[in-house]
Amino acid sequence: MSTRAKEILVIGIVLLFSIIIYLGKVFGWVEVIRFSPLVSMILIGILFLALLYILVLTLKGHLIERRAVFLFVAISVALPFFMTISQSARISPEVQQLYDNVSELPKGSKVLVSFDFDPPSAPELQPMAESFLHYCLLNDLKVIIMGLWPQGPQQANLAMDRVLKKEDIIAKKLRDGKDYVNLGFQAGNEFVIKGMGADFSSMFKSDYSGNSYHDIEIVKNVKNFSDIDFAFNLSAGYPGTQEWVQIAVDRYGLSMGAGNTAVQAPMMYTYVNAGQLKGLLGGIKGAAEFENIVDYIGKGTKYMLSQSFAHMIVIAFIIIGNVAYFKNERGKKKKH
Amino acid sequence: MEHVALWIAAFLTLGIYSFLYKDNIWYKLCESIFVGISAGYWFVVLFWDNIYGKFWVGVFPPKAYNDAGELVNSAEPDYLLIVGAVLGVMMISRLIPKIGWVSRWPLAFIVGSTSGLYLINYFTSNMMRQVEATIIPLFGMNYELSAYDIIGNLVIVIGTFTGLVYFFFSKEHKGWFGRTAKIGIWTIMITFGASFGYTVMSRMSLLIGRIDFLFGDWLGLIK
Amino acid sequence: MHVGKSTSLYLPQLFFLFLFICNFLLLSLVYAQTDDPLLNSEDSSVAIPDSELVVVAPVTSLIAEDYKYDDGKQINLSWVPSIDDQLVGSKVLGYRLFRIIDDGKPELLAKLRCGANSYSDGKLKSESVYSYYLEAFSKNFIATSTRTVPISPEREWINFDRKYLFLLAFIIGGAVIFFIESARRGKKLFVRKIAGLEAVDEAIGRATEMGRPILFIPGILDMNDVQTLAGITILGRVSQQIANYDTKIRMPVSRSLVMTAARETIKAAYQTAGRPDQYSDDMVNYVTDEQFGYVAAVDGIMVREKPATVFLMGAFFAESLILAETGNSVGAIQIAGTARPAQLPFFIAACDFTLIGEELFAASAYLSGEPKQLGSLKGQDVGKGIAMAAILIGVLAETIGTAWNVEFMNDVVRWLTILFTTQ
Repeated sequence: MSTRAKEILVIGIVLLFSIIIYLGKVFGWVEVIRFSPLVSMILIGILFLALLYILVLTLKGHLIERRAVFLFVAISVALPFFMTISQSARISPEVQQLYDNVSELPKGSKVLVSFDFDPPSAPELQPMAESFLHYCLLNDLKVIIMGLWPQGPQQANLAMDRVLKKEDIIAKKLRDGKDYVNLGFQAGNEFVIKGMGADFSSMFKSDYSGNSYHDIEIVKNVKNFSDIDFAFNLSAGYPGTQEWVQIAVDRYGLSMGAGNTAVQAPMMYTYVNAGQLKGLLGGIKGAAEFENIVDYIGKGTKYMLSQSFAHMIVIAFIIIGNVAYFKNERGKKKKH
Repeated sequence: MEHVALWIAAFLTLGIYSFLYKDNIWYKLCESIFVGISAGYWFVVLFWDNIYGKFWVGVFPPKAYNDAGELVNSAEPDYLLIVGAVLGVMMISRLIPKIGWVSRWPLAFIVGSTSGLYLINYFTSNMMRQVEATIIPLFGMNYELSAYDIIGNLVIVIGTFTGLVYFFFSKEHKGWFGRTAKIGIWTIMITFGASFGYTVMSRMSLLIGRIDFLFGDWLGLIK
Repeated sequence: MHVGKSTSLYLPQLFFLFLFICNFLLLSLVYAQTDDPLLNSEDSSVAIPDSELVVVAPVTSLIAEDYKYDDGKQINLSWVPSIDDQLVGSKVLGYRLFRIIDDGKPELLAKLRCGANSYSDGKLKSESVYSYYLEAFSKNFIATSTRTVPISPEREWINFDRKYLFLLAFIIGGAVIFFIESARRGKKLFVRKIAGLEAVDEAIGRATEMGRPILFIPGILDMNDVQTLAGITILGRVSQQIANYDTKIRMPVSRSLVMTAARETIKAAYQTAGRPDQYSDDMVNYVTDEQFGYVAAVDGIMVREKPATVFLMGAFFAESLILAETGNSVGAIQIAGTARPAQLPFFIAACDFTLIGEELFAASAYLSGEPKQLGSLKGQDVGKGIAMAAILIGVLAETIGTAWNVEFMNDVVRWLTILFTTQ
């Protein structure tokens, strides 16, 4: 059978299985798959043995294809979703600092949450957003949402929809405009932050639903940053945390914490160290730690096991890769 | 409709991932769809948020009326926005070679104004505050710091100082200066390693999100 | 109140009784409170319950001061909260701040929470005169503070709180201008050798020998970003070489302005090399502004056209590793340069040569030899020198000062902190 034929066959089989499973989901034949702890351990053992086999092959001089690495990564990420084992998250000082600052806010304090990210960064930042919003609403903090990215306020609505459906939040009978508001997106990047430093209403004429700024109860006494008790910025790039720190924190004295994608987080540690940021959540680990500390089990915690597995696989392949490299170098030296 | 949306999303996700196997027509199709939709999306967003949302609404603010039909809360037109619009039109002249020189003026305005804004922002937040934060007592008051904290302080101070030495371009990296720069580049590389690890986590998170979608939302095999 | 003749006793007592009755009437303003007393405190039509009067003390030391260093629009207020607010189980429910403009009627300016001790009143007019007073209220009592002395906000032209910021910026800016002028007058400014620059010519030669194109990616930001400008400057040098060797170049871009700037640069290089007919606008093409759309297209170009050399010079974000890895997989020699620290690890891991951070700008200055770029680089070195000196002196002084309590060292640290603290 030619390679092309094999490829088409594989695609056909995968498509057929997908249709069957999808129909099973729709009609209820197929249920959620959960591996018992014993099966999970067996699968971990098989994965470990497979890696050991690759190491042995590498030592013998047979290098594996890069596509095998992709396959291992995919399996290591997918398998934990089916496992019933859990992982504890140690709280890092930066996450603890953020929690301490937010928990000290008295009831009724105004918290500004800026959604500066789009769907590609949602797996990391959306869990942070949900757990933070849930904590604020549960503890009677007034939440003012805005965004410097066009899709930011939409992500905020998705997070709020999930949080508002929680039983403990439903019991609070919160109202849009009184307990929380979404002011929407404003174009202008850091110039929007600068404008907000003078007057919020100059930047946001209405909220996401079109209600005039001056008719919204929660922002009636909010003129600028001096009326905000704490801010939390969720950022995936530019404009983001750096611009907020440079303008809102350093110029207007806003007290602010941040949640960043893991790519950006290392750069923000300098701001935490200098006291410009009052806490930092970095990537999914930061999200999982914050969920742990506020007792909100969300996607951050759910994804951590997959994250850990993926990291183990990466570490394993770094070791295997280095073994291959040094063996290759030794081989070249012997030839000369 | 939800079923169609799920299948289209799954088709596009798997199509892009098929590139890991090899370049193929399925990937090319998904790539073209993505490029086309993103170009169209950004055109629409930029038009409605900037040209309409900022310029048109700013210069011709909509009138609001109460139930009695009286004019209320009508914002004043901001005619200064016309200056920005004119500069924007001048920018487009770059596409016409004969009058392309006109675009240098708005470009100069943008570069000049953002430089002026960034000068203060970066100078205070990224230089002065950081130098201030680096001036720390290595051993604390009366040596009360733990060994962990002392090592941490030493790493911060030595790493920052030697990193600055590495990026000093006015002196050749020779002798004691070169040795200090060497420590600097080692510190920088270790930092990059840590940053790399963080970024691996970030990339894995995106993959985890997609796997969650495929096995959860699409196939319903996980919760 | 003093005890005296019957007439003098009578009037004060009547007045006090009148005030007492007014207070009962005013109780209606605070009666209808729910969880947030501030939200319902304006309603004066609710009946007053028959409850014990909860007397609270007014705020004290209410001071109104002009906010220094602004354009005459702000007054800052500060006060000592009511003594009853500072005790455990505060009887004070909040404060109401009133403002009087030009001796007019008092207007409610803001409602403040317990514990508040300051307020900034902005958007004022410097021609008007303002005075303020605060009411501290409990559930059935209001205590009014004394009025502040009338004040007008003043406009200042210079913010002297930022004098040290100005001084440092002046020194560094002055150094930049000095070195630019020196370079213009022909003085040779030394810039140390940068690893990776020697590889540029070799990489171009490799592409020429293999007959495969060079792929140049100037990052994903626009022409207003300094990294993009540095990338275009390096493109100028690369274009000169490819025009001489007649090597093919492909340059997909994600910004239309970058496309026009790049076309001009390459066209000028071909004209200088005496081969204007070899130039084609198709060498540079716009793809899309969208980040991952651009990446998908560039990956496709890499895999299909298999360039021999890939230059990644400019500002990159999440797409850096994807681009570098794909370039590596097609066997291209890769030279990268970016000032974004988050992306440098990937370039270092996946590329053959990497210009780290400021080395990109140094390379741009080195290759172009332009006085402005060289002068700026040297001026920045002055800034780095100041930072290094401050850190070295400051840490030594702080360490010695705190460990052995040496007053002179503590003074040095104090002076350095004042110098580098921003407002």
